[in-house]
Amino acid sequence: MNYPHWQLPVPGGMLIALVAVLHVFVSHFAVGGGFFLVTTESMARRQNDASLLDYCKRHSKFFALLTLVFGAISGVGIWFTIGLVSPEATSSLIHAFVWAWAIEWVFFFVEIAAAIIYAKTWDSLPARDHMIVGWIYFVAAWMSLFVINGILTFMLTPGRWIETQNFWDGIFNPTFWPSVVARTAVSAILAGIFGYITLPKQDAREKVARWAATWMIVGALVLPISLSWYFSKIPLFSQLYMNGVLTGVRHAVRGGVAFTLLAVAIAVVCGMWKPRWMRPPVVALLVVCGLGMIGAGEYLREFLRKPWVINKVIYANDVRAAEVETLQAKGVRQSANFLLTDDTASAEYGKNLFELQCGSCHAAGGYRGMNRRVDGWDAAFAADILQHIHMLRGTMPPYAGDEQDRKALGQYLASLNPPWQFNITAANRLEVGGKVFGARCGHCHTVNGNFRPLRGTFEKATPSQVQEIFPALGAMSSNMPEFNAPEDQAQALAFYISHEANLPLAQKPAPAEMPTGTNHSRLLPQTDLRQEVR
Amino acid sequence: MQTIPIPHVDPLPLPGPVWLFTALLLVVFTLHVVAMNSALGGGIWTLWNYLRGRHSEHPYSRRLANELSQMLPTLLAFTVTLGVAALLFVQVLFGNFLYTSSILIGALWLAVIPLVMAAYYGFYYFSYTAEQGKGTAGCVLAISVCVLLSIAFIFVNNMTLMLSPSRWLEMYRAHPNGWNLNLGDHSVIPRYLHIVNGAIALFSAILAHLGMRKMKVDAEYGRWLVQRAALVFAACTGLQFLLGMWLLLAIPREIAMVLLRDPLAGAVFGLAFVSVIAAMLLILLGSLAEKPSPLVHFGFGMSLVTLFLMVCLRYLLRLAYLKPYLNLGTLAVRPQVSVIALFLILFVGGLATVGYMLLLVARSKKPQVHVASMH
Repeated sequence: MNYPHWQLPVPGGMLIALVAVLHVFVSHFAVGGGFFLVTTESMARRQNDASLLDYCKRHSKFFALLTLVFGAISGVGIWFTIGLVSPEATSSLIHAFVWAWAIEWVFFFVEIAAAIIYAKTWDSLPARDHMIVGWIYFVAAWMSLFVINGILTFMLTPGRWIETQNFWDGIFNPTFWPSVVARTAVSAILAGIFGYITLPKQDAREKVARWAATWMIVGALVLPISLSWYFSKIPLFSQLYMNGVLTGVRHAVRGGVAFTLLAVAIAVVCGMWKPRWMRPPVVALLVVCGLGMIGAGEYLREFLRKPWVINKVIYANDVRAAEVETLQAKGVRQSANFLLTDDTASAEYGKNLFELQCGSCHAAGGYRGMNRRVDGWDAAFAADILQHIHMLRGTMPPYAGDEQDRKALGQYLASLNPPWQFNITAANRLEVGGKVFGARCGHCHTVNGNFRPLRGTFEKATPSQVQEIFPALGAMSSNMPEFNAPEDQAQALAFYISHEANLPLAQKPAPAEMPTGTNHSRLLPQTDLRQEVR
Repeated sequence: MQTIPIPHVDPLPLPGPVWLFTALLLVVFTLHVVAMNSALGGGIWTLWNYLRGRHSEHPYSRRLANELSQMLPTLLAFTVTLGVAALLFVQVLFGNFLYTSSILIGALWLAVIPLVMAAYYGFYYFSYTAEQGKGTAGCVLAISVCVLLSIAFIFVNNMTLMLSPSRWLEMYRAHPNGWNLNLGDHSVIPRYLHIVNGAIALFSAILAHLGMRKMKVDAEYGRWLVQRAALVFAACTGLQFLLGMWLLLAIPREIAMVLLRDPLAGAVFGLAFVSVIAAMLLILLGSLAEKPSPLVHFGFGMSLVTLFLMVCLRYLLRLAYLKPYLNLGTLAVRPQVSVIALFLILFVGGLATVGYMLLLVARSKKPQVHVASMH
């Protein structure tokens, strides 16, 4: 609310993800690849292997071109992007950790100088001196990873910093060490993958292929151990996301594992066993696997932090937790500096609120589009459900605005789709009921699933008995919206719930506890919804 | 009348004293400008000499273009590296102004990233192909230089816009998608020209300094270089006075008055005036000498002093602009003493490490010495 919202055709978070994934891909190679280069050089010199040394020279040129230019500049790109999309969070990270970044900058400076010298002085520096430069490069590069890792892990697990605001508590937070190990392992895998890009055609081919495969395999052995250590240290709400309720998390986990396993399989077969099979298309596939692995990892890291950008401090939509109560009491128009309209009664105001409060993760359509999510909502229902938004699946922040804001935003959300009109017959009653359930109840409940299931409440109830409960829903719990669907939709919904709740079940589902996403909402005390419904 | 929206200062206190952040900002920004002037001014010098050197009657131009071609990627690398440090410290003190202006020109501001990459790869391409003397290399270099010029323009827009909160809301409402420029501010054009011309001037001073060292190896080539560099330096510095006056007139009167009435700003301004004239005279006189003259080195030193003073003046101008909205003295401070100490130790250690690597290179006594020791 403090800063203007940069309007983009895609959610701002997507832009950060794009820049970050590409940067992380190359920057981890910059760390692992430096280690790979200097150890390979050392091996070549020890074994007096001229062709291997020649490989090192060519690889270092490729390494410098990729990491110095794309790697370094895309890192600056993350700075630019987070400042544009989440200025509030960037500002707080800067205030808390500017000295960590300053220290990281020192290592970065040494790293850049060493990389330039290393790549340029193969023929001029004595062997010993050249390797010293290589080692300086690697130590500086790994140290910059070490420092940045502290800030990145802080965002999910600030640990004791929340109470002490002490720099060291923030940096050496609960996930610092497992993440350092995991990132180092990833760096080794990427060093191996990128090592194949400059694979020699003749001499040293087999040696390099097996050597690079070794790096990948070692990295891939360490990675699962460090990740399980990491996942044991993440907050409870993040661990709950891992239990399979959220499809995005499930896909990311499966994708990450699949890409890594495929990469390792290729390393074993085409690297270790049959190096002559390591042809450019295979190398390209390996690079894709590496990118997929990084993409999945970064997606997961970001998703596990929802609804926060800095856990317990700032929400993903750049609203400070400490400001939510004021915003709910006084409204956005009292606090926002850059509204596009002063007319808070206009439709434009609702659209503006959407962009300001939701735009960092959602757009009206497309990826994470709201049109699909709010299909079937009328303005009153949307305005009502906004005050329960953090209850959905725990990934949403509380709504930071007053009743007038909720009404304006609800109006906008309802305008994204034409209102529902059904000609309900006996033939389509169940199908319509299912649609109404998806729109009105399905964001927080299932009937027979394992996410806040309603079966316990409605088992053995007839459709008319189910429908009798609807008018009382709003009063039943402070977490439930008022029920205001048209009569025909209400009948279809009751029919659907009664039908589903009375289907024979193979086994009783185990209900999942879900986080509520916040402990800062004035409106909503934390309660277990499932128990109340029962 | 609309109130002027200023994002509030971050609730977390500053993790160090204002004077320390100011000092670090001034130092790293000066170093960044030296590197940036070398990359931009160097790019322009290289392009001119490369095009000129394609004709056989200008062998020195060709030689100079080839020598410079090897330096350009490194110069750009250090422009970025030192720029990151400046960006870091400016965010601490002026974050709420800088983030806002960046968002207002967001589309162009983010374009800086792919633009720098393009210019950087262009410089690398040129460094690999310059010796062949082909037209493609010249075209690529020309594109890189134009890209750098456009980046400088985007930066000038942002750096002026962050000083003008009164323009923000209207601009945001006109184009909330970040397709804005700050051209309504009359100081943008003279400021941009002042910076680009200054870059050519400073790199000319660097070349005069390098030419003196070349004279020891190849007297004729060295003298050619020193004399050309001195002439361009003098011409650009002369032009810089005019552009500076234009800039001063384009700044809102009340802000210019704040600056002129401030004794510190007045002293810095006066000193800069003296030092730049000294630099011009020393380099011109030194370039006329038959033998390598220390006057050129002094002149080069004075041009660096001038640059630092201009950076300080720019900082004082920023404070004058922001006076109604920001008082750095009132910001909450809670210094992270142990981390600051660690940073300073590592900073010295980092410089020593880079120095050690340069020593290793120097000991090997190969041509790469000059490239690396530029920094």
